[in-house]
Amino acid sequence: MIDGIDVLIMVIKVLVVFGFLLVSVLLTIWAERRIVALMQQRIGPNRVGPFGVLQGLADGIKLFFKEDVTPTNVDRSVYFLAPVAALLPAFLAFAVVPVGRGFHIGHRVITLHLVDLNVGILFFLAMGSLMVYGIVLAGWSSGSTYPLLGAVRSTAQMISYEIGMGLSVVSVVLWSGTLSTSGIVDAQSGTWFGFVPRWFIIPQLPALVMFLLGGLAETNRAPFDLPEAETELVGGYHTEYTGIKFAMFFLAEYLHVITTSALVVTLFLGGWRGPNILPFLGPLLFVGYFLAKLGLVIFLFMWARATIPRIRYDRLMHLGWKVLIPASLVWTMITAAMVVLPQEVNRTTLIVVVGIVFEVALIVWLARLTTTALRRGRLRRGDSHVV
Amino acid sequence: MPFVAPHIAWHGIAPELALVGGALVALLIDAVKPAVDRRFLAGLSLATIGLAAWFTFDLRDTRAVIMQGTLAVDGVALFGRLILLITAAMTILISYHYLSRRRIHRGEYYPLLLLATSGMTLLAASNDLLLSFLAIETLSLALYVMVGFARRDEKSQEGALKYFLLGAFSSAFLLYGIALTYGATGSTQLSVISKQAAVASVDERLMFVAVAMIAVGFAFKVAAVPFHMWSPDAYQGAPTSVTGFMAAGTKAAAFIGFFRVFLVAFGALQWDWRPVLWIVAVATMAVGSLLAIAQTDVKRMLAYSSIAHAGYVLIGLVAANRDGVSAALFYLLIYAVMVLGAFAAVIVSAPGGSERLSLAEWGGIGRRYPVFGGAMTLFLLALAGLPPTSGFTGKFLLFAAAIKAHENALVVAATITSVVAAFFYVRLIVLIWLQDPPPDDGHPGIGPTPALITSLGIAAAATIVFGVWPQSLIDLARNAISHGFVG
Amino acid sequence: MSYYWQYGTLGALTAVGGAFVVIAFLGNRLMRPRKPRVEKATTYECGMDPVGEGWSNTHIRYYLFAFLFVIFDVESVFLFPWAVQLEKLRPQGTVLVEMIVFIGILAIGLLYAWKKKVLEWVK
Repeated sequence: MIDGIDVLIMVIKVLVVFGFLLVSVLLTIWAERRIVALMQQRIGPNRVGPFGVLQGLADGIKLFFKEDVTPTNVDRSVYFLAPVAALLPAFLAFAVVPVGRGFHIGHRVITLHLVDLNVGILFFLAMGSLMVYGIVLAGWSSGSTYPLLGAVRSTAQMISYEIGMGLSVVSVVLWSGTLSTSGIVDAQSGTWFGFVPRWFIIPQLPALVMFLLGGLAETNRAPFDLPEAETELVGGYHTEYTGIKFAMFFLAEYLHVITTSALVVTLFLGGWRGPNILPFLGPLLFVGYFLAKLGLVIFLFMWARATIPRIRYDRLMHLGWKVLIPASLVWTMITAAMVVLPQEVNRTTLIVVVGIVFEVALIVWLARLTTTALRRGRLRRGDSHVV
Repeated sequence: MPFVAPHIAWHGIAPELALVGGALVALLIDAVKPAVDRRFLAGLSLATIGLAAWFTFDLRDTRAVIMQGTLAVDGVALFGRLILLITAAMTILISYHYLSRRRIHRGEYYPLLLLATSGMTLLAASNDLLLSFLAIETLSLALYVMVGFARRDEKSQEGALKYFLLGAFSSAFLLYGIALTYGATGSTQLSVISKQAAVASVDERLMFVAVAMIAVGFAFKVAAVPFHMWSPDAYQGAPTSVTGFMAAGTKAAAFIGFFRVFLVAFGALQWDWRPVLWIVAVATMAVGSLLAIAQTDVKRMLAYSSIAHAGYVLIGLVAANRDGVSAALFYLLIYAVMVLGAFAAVIVSAPGGSERLSLAEWGGIGRRYPVFGGAMTLFLLALAGLPPTSGFTGKFLLFAAAIKAHENALVVAATITSVVAAFFYVRLIVLIWLQDPPPDDGHPGIGPTPALITSLGIAAAATIVFGVWPQSLIDLARNAISHGFVG
Repeated sequence: MSYYWQYGTLGALTAVGGAFVVIAFLGNRLMRPRKPRVEKATTYECGMDPVGEGWSNTHIRYYLFAFLFVIFDVESVFLFPWAVQLEKLRPQGTVLVEMIVFIGILAIGLLYAWKKKVLEWVK
């Protein structure tokens, strides 16, 4: 039965998750600026607080005290609602991520998991799609050309990559046989040969690559940050936003990065699982594992931003529809074929081998497409400005 | 919850599988090799239809409800497939030359035609309201595109858009009716609905609204008054071969679905819907016949004539007995053949540029081309329902069924409208034969090709044979319904 | 029971998020300076005076992609329940073949769009 203490625990968990997200956004912003700066041989923010760690907070406070300019040409109610519509799904998506092993207090089990929906993955994907609404509504309601173009671009981009992302999740679901995030983490427990963890990154490497690509595009991050390509579209969909409303979009984008990374950890990197080497830490150790893995994946996002130049829009759609979707369809079918193999066959070894072959084929294909596109592009230099 | 994979009787849907498979193959060939000879695609489509016919023939002794009760394999379904496959095959014969002539011979035509046919055959066999809906959507979506197939022709575009908007509208009606039926009876399966509708506890008001909605949905598809508005524009704008396909195929499929849903699922409520459909039938016959008189465009005239014919077929539904069903099946088959013949004649009427669409252009054409004029005359006589053509036999059977059901007033109304309708058919016959051909009208001659001659010949032969010796076909139609609907 | 509990928890998180937004907006309203000027409230056009309406038509290509998206998104929705049950349905054999047929039909659609150059952004 549910009693007052359960409600109290729930409230505490909600607040902790909320606080964790806000703090991690501030840290992520700071870390991104520092890391990108390091990679570009700059220093980055180092004034506010130790190593500039409070820079994000300072920026937030600054935006909070900024004047809020609402252009006369906007559709007021939608213009007001758009940042909220972008922000809330980003918060909610994190709720299905298990962050650590449950523990007992007396006879009560405390799970480190806000909600364990039986359709957790679908919930995450649904929240990811809802984010598009915030962007579309922002672009449309601004009543201005740049935001509109940014929003339409962004929508086309997000829906194109959502399919590939969804299909790569299908192959994970095939492999684990459950839609629940905690079920997927459980399916990754144990080891092969006593030391290789049974994380899905090994049998499902192609799915991980496709999920990461889709995740980068879904979160509008470099090299897929065309919706806010400042050289072409000023600020993209949030050109007309100022002050706290702009801060909401900023927050939403980073929240999205964090939740997507958390899902990568959950689906492919074994979630919070890891060897219990420091038993005296108890459940904290596993939260630590989770945070470490999360940081690693977020670092990947930053690395991509610092390293890869922005992709041209036609190539973006090309990559999404001609590479990602067919490849993910084929990979889903390969995984399904492995799943229905008879029990006697060592299907994990088989899928690792097939996965590596698939991965190589994918890269070769991608390289060929890119080189032919480059060759064509050279013939048609001058029309690189593609809206 | 354990999941049990359903048992699927593949042989029961083999004709549809063949059609869809053929459509996909044709689509792929066209996509991969856009320059493929259209004759190959047409031949492939004909072969697919032949395969579907073979599978249908294979089912001739099977009587069952398959696929979890959603699909009926019974005489009516098989007879429906017969009509529809004949329609599709004849459409391909009359399309080939026509599409090339109008420079709209894109490869998608054949997959669309096959997919529309598969939707139609499913509708004829559907034993579940949801499957009916899906089948209607399948055939409609393909037809919307086919109506707008002449992309550069504004009339074609206009017709397609009107057909699409009103078709979507009618689908909404149908779906709402299905939802209400489900709410009232807890099922979308026709046999279950009929059992539930007969018990006293069913919410009658809900049922009435549901029946009315579903009737509206089907009335749209068969173009019955007052839901006929789209059909003249769509028929006129569509490429002529598509018009023939719609007039013959859509009508037949929608009517068979209409009959099955109303006689099986709502059979217990027939005292409620029969009077309404009585009015609809009379209105359809009257409006179709009267407005056809005012038309000066042959395709538009045939469109209104097809509305009037929908009214005649509705007589079979109002009669609500086995004779009514068999007469309607007979009528749908012979109507399909003769209306396709009439549209084939319209296509033949011009080899080069535009067809002879305005009535004035048909003046004296029979004196110059007696065989062609004779064929057109034959189809017009059949559409008018005069002996010795199959049209007469069909009407006679429908009227007989209505009299058997004591719907004498309906028969009187139908007879009067037939006389009215005869006027405009005979007027065109008079034009064809009794007017002098203009000395040199600048019109090129007529343009028959082997395929068109074949289809004209088949249509003409069928129209005469089933007019003079109809008994074998009547027996076939009676056999189709002799054990009633399954399920 | 646990169903309502879980979605209630999600509701609580939504409420906290909503409260955060409300507090932020209200606080901002109290704190922020307000010096309205007509020029400030014009649409941003890189410093030029904006001409015409900001709303414009977008290219039909976006529509085509949206159309394809609906097809494949619905497809992946169909894949999820199948993916969960596949391992248990292994004895019934044909489940994989059936799904391959289903995906194959849609893949033909994608191939068709590809060959018809719908997926080319620059023609």
